[in-house]
Amino acid sequence: MTAEAAAFAAPAAKAERAARLRVVAGWLWSGALLVLLGFLVLYPVAMLLLGALTNTNPVVDGFGVFDLSLANFVTVLGNPNVHGALANSLIACTGGTALAVVIGLAFSWIVVRTNTPWRGFVAAASLIPLFVPPLVAGVAWSILGSPRSGLINTMLAWAGLDWRIDLYSMTGLILVFGMYYAPYVYLFTASALRNMDPSLEEAAEIAGIGPVRTLFTITFPLIAPAIISSMLLSFIVMLGIYGIPAVLGAPANISVLTTYIFKLTNWSPPLYSTAAAVAIILMVVTGALVLLQQRVLAGRSFTTVAGKAFRPRVVELGPWRWLTLALALLYLVTVVVLPTLALVVAAFRRFLFIPTAGSLFEMRHYSLVHFEAVFDNPLTMRSIWNTMEVGLTTALLGGLIAFAIGYTVHRSSAPARRAIDLVATLPVAIPGLVIGVAYLWAWIGLPGGLYGTIWILTLAFVARFMPDTMKSLSTSFLQIHRELEEAAWICGKGRIGTIRTIVLPLARPGTVAAMTLLFILAIRELGSSLFLYTSNTMVMAVLLLDYYEGGNTGKTAAFSLVQTALLALLIGVATWLSRGSADASVGRAG
Amino acid sequence: MKSILIALGFASALAMPAAAQDFGPPELIAAAKQEGRLVYYTANFAEVEQEVIKAFNKRFPEIKVEMVRAPGGQLITRVKTEAAAGKLSADVVDHSDRALMTDLVGLFQDYAPPNGKDYLPESMVSPKLWPRVTLVWSIAYNSALVKKPPKSWMDLTKPEYGNKQIGEVIAPSGGTTWTRVMFERQVLGEDYWKKQAATDPVLYPSGAPMSDALVRGEIVMGPLLYNIVYPKKRDGAPLEIFFAPEGAPVNPYASGVPSTAKNPNAAKLFLNWCLSQEGQTFMIKELGNLTSLRQPPVYPEGFDPKVVKVWLPNFDQYVKLHASWVEEWNKTYGYRQ
Repeated sequence: MTAEAAAFAAPAAKAERAARLRVVAGWLWSGALLVLLGFLVLYPVAMLLLGALTNTNPVVDGFGVFDLSLANFVTVLGNPNVHGALANSLIACTGGTALAVVIGLAFSWIVVRTNTPWRGFVAAASLIPLFVPPLVAGVAWSILGSPRSGLINTMLAWAGLDWRIDLYSMTGLILVFGMYYAPYVYLFTASALRNMDPSLEEAAEIAGIGPVRTLFTITFPLIAPAIISSMLLSFIVMLGIYGIPAVLGAPANISVLTTYIFKLTNWSPPLYSTAAAVAIILMVVTGALVLLQQRVLAGRSFTTVAGKAFRPRVVELGPWRWLTLALALLYLVTVVVLPTLALVVAAFRRFLFIPTAGSLFEMRHYSLVHFEAVFDNPLTMRSIWNTMEVGLTTALLGGLIAFAIGYTVHRSSAPARRAIDLVATLPVAIPGLVIGVAYLWAWIGLPGGLYGTIWILTLAFVARFMPDTMKSLSTSFLQIHRELEEAAWICGKGRIGTIRTIVLPLARPGTVAAMTLLFILAIRELGSSLFLYTSNTMVMAVLLLDYYEGGNTGKTAAFSLVQTALLALLIGVATWLSRGSADASVGRAG
Repeated sequence: MKSILIALGFASALAMPAAAQDFGPPELIAAAKQEGRLVYYTANFAEVEQEVIKAFNKRFPEIKVEMVRAPGGQLITRVKTEAAAGKLSADVVDHSDRALMTDLVGLFQDYAPPNGKDYLPESMVSPKLWPRVTLVWSIAYNSALVKKPPKSWMDLTKPEYGNKQIGEVIAPSGGTTWTRVMFERQVLGEDYWKKQAATDPVLYPSGAPMSDALVRGEIVMGPLLYNIVYPKKRDGAPLEIFFAPEGAPVNPYASGVPSTAKNPNAAKLFLNWCLSQEGQTFMIKELGNLTSLRQPPVYPEGFDPKVVKVWLPNFDQYVKLHASWVEEWNKTYGYRQ
């Protein structure tokens, strides 16, 4: 070999070696992520499947004595009560979703596309239901809408009206579902409406088409992907909710899949294997919906975002703007003010026996006794402290892991990206109530002191909310143009350096938002906490259920108010902290 | 006069120094204080158990009781799974379903309270498991809403109380309800369930939410454990409670100290206190329990032993009949299972 050839060959070999190293590093990185996800997601799901396929508790009976059979599935699929619960779930969620879409879409149109007064306030207040734990919503609406003792019926009787409402019914479930999950639809559709190119609407206007027809033939079809996305998401979320159907459905003997699963785990003796089999049915339904969503949305998501700068068109409503304001306020009163008032009455009243409207205003019935009892319980303060700790660790650890996975999936060319994405999305289809048992089965036997610490709760929440965090983060990743990273590479920055100096600062608002969301979800989460808490790691959601199951609406309401106030405070602080970054986010979004 | 005597008896029991009452040998008490804490798993109502812990801490303030409360089924799963993984953190396990506890008896260590011989043998399923609490069924109604109150179990089958006025706790809810359901069929008649179900009662997963619904006026009457309604009545809720003449079904719990208890002395002292004259008197007087002591120190308010016939299920039948009868009950009441 000549000296010249050698001079060319050396860098080529070096480059080849570097490329090979990169491939190996890529595989190692992807492998590490897959191992982590395997531990967090696949292993517990495998335990759940195992539970459904046997009649044993894998921890108690050992892993060796499998008597695998489809008997549980056969029994469950042939059980008319499961059919009933499945049908009820589908009816309640379909009705709830339809209502949520109507309310959510109307709201986003009012807020984004009209000159309704106080839209900013209306927009902020309409998100409040998102932070209310479903059990609290259920309790508040049972105080208001019970057929016999509900405050609304008491007031109707007082006003001499003959109408009575009964929320202990399928209609009640649909109404409360629809009201509480409308903000999901609002969140998705408002940003789509905001980012939509108005030129087609302008063309319609020029062509002489009226505003209502434009709305239904141009505007809504254009944001159809966002509407479908939000519909499916609200449907899936409703499918997994326990608190609302537990409170409103149970008195009318209306079972849905989640309350049915809970019943199975609550009976004496408990039927976990059957519960696991029912949970797998729920997972299949949810999984099918997620696939459907992906198929429907494939290739459509970005059609509304054009490259040029524009402002959304605002419809001048004239005097009609007061009607839209009245509608928005009516929603807020119904969803925020009335339930809060109901909780206040229940929390301060000694006994929630209100035979007449006059009795509601007799001050001798009110006292601080429930708050005293709640704070007299040593578990209250401990649960608040534990919840904060779990919320914070979940937000930090979950944010970090979701960032790593989100970056790998969206911004890198690492191998097995699709598999990583798929496994990380899997928990969306698993109902929390049963995954709690799966986590217990999966992780209790691990060496070391994981069980009985808050870390087992943290890991469960990180795994359970991985899809939500990823979803929230991926938007920020997709917004950052690749050329910025390429510029950093040209300037000689390595992968880590680029992440640190380019991606991290730009994705910060999204990351903070994702972590705040994770924090809130962790604070609210009940299902997966139920089996993982111990006397030292009691969390607020479990204590709230304890108060509810303990049959004391007063204490439940008092503790709900404490929890709500704390959440409001934390969200306020988080908003204030991320004020700068939120502005930056809005600025960048145009 | 009688209630004054009872009150005096209770006051003097509490006023007695610890040494005079037998809570265990001094070494045990010293070791328990040294441990300073215990983890207490119970299936009883959390609100009720908080009162018990408070009363225990009046006597032994040095010992912190950390409670984990779960419904019967969940509690058993937790105990089994933790025990299998070698991580049972309970120092005391207290459960309403004696049959389920019998299956787990191997997990418990030998334990007997100082006054063990004073307990009725038929209330126990193993020498390791003790009837820490004994709960009794009563019938309660909302006194502000019911003009013509029921007077017996059979009254709860009357059509005039139909149309969702009556509440019932479901049979598969746990040991105490299973006892009531057995009583209804064995004492009140084979067709009692059918007649009662014909009134279209509202079904509740447990007695606690049902008692709340009764206070609120969601339902107006129904059978409830005395210990969940009595404290509410005592605090001023519009309730009346009575023990029906046909009998009062009684369910003793099974409580024991696991072999793996990290604080065995504190656990034994806690159970010793609960099972002592003082502990039982407190639970009867303040919480509305009965007792499985041969000689009850007092009776709960409204309970006249000369009139009320206490009914304890035959334990063999309690175990054997459970599955088939609960299934029949579910069918009769149209409870979706």
